[in-house]
Amino acid sequence: MDTSFSQVAWLIPLFPFVAFLLLLAFGRGQRTLGVLLGSISSFAGLVLSILVLIEHMSDGTKYYQYSFKWLDFDGLTMNAGYEVTNLTALMLVVVTLVSFLVNVYSAGYMKGDERISVFYSYVALFSFSMLGLVLADNMLTLYIFWELVGVCSFLLVGFWFSKPEAKAAAKKAFIVTRIGDAGLLLGILLLYWYMPDHALDFVHIGNVFDGQTGIIAASVTTWIAILIFVGAVGKSGQFPLHVWLPDAMEGPTPISALIHAATMVAAGVYLVARTFDIFQASQTAMDVVAYIGGFTAIFAATIGVAQNDIKRILAYSTVSQLGYMMMALGLGSMTGGIFHLFTHAFFKALLFLGAGSVIHAVHTQNIQEMGGLSAKMKITTWTFGIGTLALSGIPPFSGFWSKDMILNTALHEKPVLFAVGVAAAFFTAFYMSRLFFLVFMGKPKGEQHAHESPASMTIPLIILAVLAAASGFIQTPWNNTLGTWLTDGAEKEHGGAGIVMVISAAVGLLGLYLGWLVFVKGTIARDAISSRAPWLVRLLERKYYMDEIYEALLVRPLRGLGYLLNAIDEYIVDGLVQLVSGTAVWFGRGGTRVQNGQIQTYGVVTVLGLIVLLVALVGRRFW
Amino acid sequence: MLADLPILSLITFSPLLGILVLLFLPKHRSRWLKATAIIATILPLLLSLWLYADYDSTKGGKAYEETATWLDVSLNKEAVGEVGSYQFELQYHMGVDGLSMPLLLLTAVVGVMAALASVHVKKRWKSFYIWFLLLEIGMLGVFLARDVFLFFVFFEMTLIPMFFLIGIWGYMNRERAANKFLLYNGIGSAIMLIAFVILVATAGFRAEQVPEKQQTNLSYCGSYEVITTNLTKADSYVNMSTEQTQGQENPFYLSERMRWVIFLLLLIAFGIKLPIFPFHTWMLRVHTEAPPSVVMIHSGVLLKMGAYGLLRFGVFMFPAVAEDWKVAIAILGVVNILYGAVLAVVQKEFKLVLAYSSISHMGIVLLGIASLNEIGLHGAIIQLISHGLISALLFLIVGSIYERTGSTELKDLGGLARSMPFISGILLTAGMASLGLPGLSGFIGEFLSLLGLFDSQQAVTCVAVLGVILTAVYVLRSILGITFGAMPEKLAAVRDARLIEAVPMITLLAFIVLIGVYPAVLTEPMKHGFDTLLQQLSEKAGR
Repeated sequence: MDTSFSQVAWLIPLFPFVAFLLLLAFGRGQRTLGVLLGSISSFAGLVLSILVLIEHMSDGTKYYQYSFKWLDFDGLTMNAGYEVTNLTALMLVVVTLVSFLVNVYSAGYMKGDERISVFYSYVALFSFSMLGLVLADNMLTLYIFWELVGVCSFLLVGFWFSKPEAKAAAKKAFIVTRIGDAGLLLGILLLYWYMPDHALDFVHIGNVFDGQTGIIAASVTTWIAILIFVGAVGKSGQFPLHVWLPDAMEGPTPISALIHAATMVAAGVYLVARTFDIFQASQTAMDVVAYIGGFTAIFAATIGVAQNDIKRILAYSTVSQLGYMMMALGLGSMTGGIFHLFTHAFFKALLFLGAGSVIHAVHTQNIQEMGGLSAKMKITTWTFGIGTLALSGIPPFSGFWSKDMILNTALHEKPVLFAVGVAAAFFTAFYMSRLFFLVFMGKPKGEQHAHESPASMTIPLIILAVLAAASGFIQTPWNNTLGTWLTDGAEKEHGGAGIVMVISAAVGLLGLYLGWLVFVKGTIARDAISSRAPWLVRLLERKYYMDEIYEALLVRPLRGLGYLLNAIDEYIVDGLVQLVSGTAVWFGRGGTRVQNGQIQTYGVVTVLGLIVLLVALVGRRFW
Repeated sequence: MLADLPILSLITFSPLLGILVLLFLPKHRSRWLKATAIIATILPLLLSLWLYADYDSTKGGKAYEETATWLDVSLNKEAVGEVGSYQFELQYHMGVDGLSMPLLLLTAVVGVMAALASVHVKKRWKSFYIWFLLLEIGMLGVFLARDVFLFFVFFEMTLIPMFFLIGIWGYMNRERAANKFLLYNGIGSAIMLIAFVILVATAGFRAEQVPEKQQTNLSYCGSYEVITTNLTKADSYVNMSTEQTQGQENPFYLSERMRWVIFLLLLIAFGIKLPIFPFHTWMLRVHTEAPPSVVMIHSGVLLKMGAYGLLRFGVFMFPAVAEDWKVAIAILGVVNILYGAVLAVVQKEFKLVLAYSSISHMGIVLLGIASLNEIGLHGAIIQLISHGLISALLFLIVGSIYERTGSTELKDLGGLARSMPFISGILLTAGMASLGLPGLSGFIGEFLSLLGLFDSQQAVTCVAVLGVILTAVYVLRSILGITFGAMPEKLAAVRDARLIEAVPMITLLAFIVLIGVYPAVLTEPMKHGFDTLLQQLSEKAGR
């Protein structure tokens, strides 16, 4: 075979890495260099990724894998490498596309910031790490990049480091995901010692767990799968480790679109999909994934209803949608999970960038302080509207098709989760219509001089709007293109989608209609619920008190333990040793007192010494 | 050609040249004194790099061994009957192997960086640098010695300069800290000496046949090789119990229990240095009271001598005992990790955070040692090197920050990323390395240690992994506290790094990244470093 594009796929992460290095070296005080390098490198990556994807969509073998020995000594060989499968090819395009658009968008959004080149260098480092994660051919390489994207996320959340909120959010993001990472690390340790030949690459993992020959005991398989999932829970903001994601909205909005909506937070879903064979080998693990995903979907969607910060609503929406993806995976539909990841990347990036455009115009994030923006921001309004419809699952927009596929699977596998999914879909549509109507409809509030954003910001919006509208058609109930392509047709299809389509569309429309009734028409009073059940609203506003629970169960006890041990360290541990040294001094004093010139004293000491010697000599025999 | 030179002695004693020059310089010419000292530390670095380049791991360090008789003490021949000679040999014996090579490089690198960081020293430069260079000779010698008494001499040689460096150039409570340092380490040395004497008197005994003269030469010596071979060879005197010698009393016999005792003595002696909980309180004082450049040496190199000694004498000489004790060592390691980490979370002083962090990180080394397999032992050594570089870097930064702000209390600091972006960036990266971010050296050591330990002690490893989370908590709490957030008014005018500060920072960071990205720089010379040990362990397991 001639050189294929897949063979040079390693170039894709290299482009942003070079951009990062150049910015690190020459970025100081530069204003345009970042925009230039970031856009060019991500565009180059995008072009190559598309070529790779096209190559993978055509017939013939195109799988390519390359690895080299990274850590190598007697007793251990760890490889690092990359491989290009259909799944990775798809992810490459998603990542590079969103990354390119965000790079362009940031040129407008971050224009006034004096540290813009630092911003671009972080984004470049992130793109590198994320693409490395996607391309990794084994668990260790993946883990390395997994950690690196986490750090980039941390750096960008804390980009405006002087703000105490940004500092706290960055810290929280890092530590909470670190909890998940610890689980993933243990999973890798377990995998290493149980895999034949200690192989960690996905091909071998697939072979070992796929064969159902019981090479690895069932309980161990379950543990490995669950520990890997713990990593995914942290990264993808699943309950109960979701708490960092809404706070991460302290970062610049383009970052929320790129990292905290489209790419990095989806890495958990991607990880589960990559190691899907392990999960499929353990029904327990699959159930855990499905129920955690389903629970997260409804849990976060209900919180989204009661928030007022435009970005936080979208953040909870992201958590909820990631829950859908996990649920799909847990129900055995990798296609469903990846499909939703794919469409979600576009419409959620669109919504965040749209929100950024709004914030750019009105300088507030509180939707209660906004209103009537549709007159002044036509493009933003229209594109945001498309995003809203896609997220709410209104046909024929992309979100409808992917959500439909998940709900359809749920109906066939676990009807309970179908019910949960439908309920979450309703809440989703409701909070989105609340958001949309409050921001764009009604009367303008306050002295706002809102204006449409510059072209560098609106053009990415338009491109994403087209994708959010149309990208769902790669997989419909009548045409299983994506499923066949991703899984070689191995996954079973669920027919009879008609009823599910009707229900999911109806629920979405109902949610939107209700929102219209409340926030535009005013038929239903806005305080209809808060006046009758204030505790419920407060519960949702306070996000089910999750932060408080963490504070009480983990943070305070840890701090308390710290203070306790600190006291022990100071007074007891140190004190004991002081005592020992004090004793030595006391002995010394005693020794001087013994030397008093009196024969009797000397005689006693001699006898004592003799006894000690005798005991020592006799005692030696027993050793 | 390198083998023709006494390269190891050259490395060890090259700082003497600096001392000689310093002696003849007037004591107020601080620039000259500093320059001389820095050059004197660069010499061993260059020589060690040369050695590193020339070192062939398949052959080991045999080619470079240097031996000379230092002192032969004749013992009473009549006591043992017809022999050719009967004596106690003190050897000057230097050598290098897979275990000491990485540590030698670490010492040389940190030495130069600490000398550069000593530009902040404010008084009595001449004596400071003389003590400093003596300290460096001691450290280099510790890792290159191949004889227990020579080791002991070099080990003691590090104590006295440290005592003065802390006691004269330290902060407020420097004298108490110096006393405490000497007290603890003195006790450690005494215990070590007891263990060494027992070892030499039993396993150090040799009987060499001289066929042409038809007589036997009897001797005691402290050579690592002799002691290790005697201890592991089945038919050597130390291994002959009374039954095997047909009822004859064998004064050289080391019973199982005696071996345990020696191992315990070594564990305590080196545990104080490492430090192992609860022997750690002295090092907290040193971390807070010694001048930062001295702490770079202390935390960067001196603590590593503890782990090195534990490996070299404890594990290498008593693999069977280590095997029996490995669960205990692993638990000690976990206690260190968690105890250090939890305490680091609540400290209010940045230097104390780093001190407790050192305790926590040395716990990882214990885990690697406790694994007693190739992976974990590699992990332990890499963790030593990595922690040495990282803590040297961190204390370098501490020195620079203190120089500008006059405080290392967390409450006094904040928002420094605004006024000193370069130092803050390096500090953040060093913190990331410390919490084990892949791509930086900390990850490799931590990962390999955990991976190695997981093979035999899964439960302990799981608990140890909690440390990974806690490390992130205290590193971010302290470092973000310094660099992020609002900046106190009075810090607005502080300047970013000067060139003389930036150079060592970048250099140390470069090494940290190099090991993280290309760990073969360390694993390559370490190859075959553990061969004999692992062979003995597998023999024991086979039996």
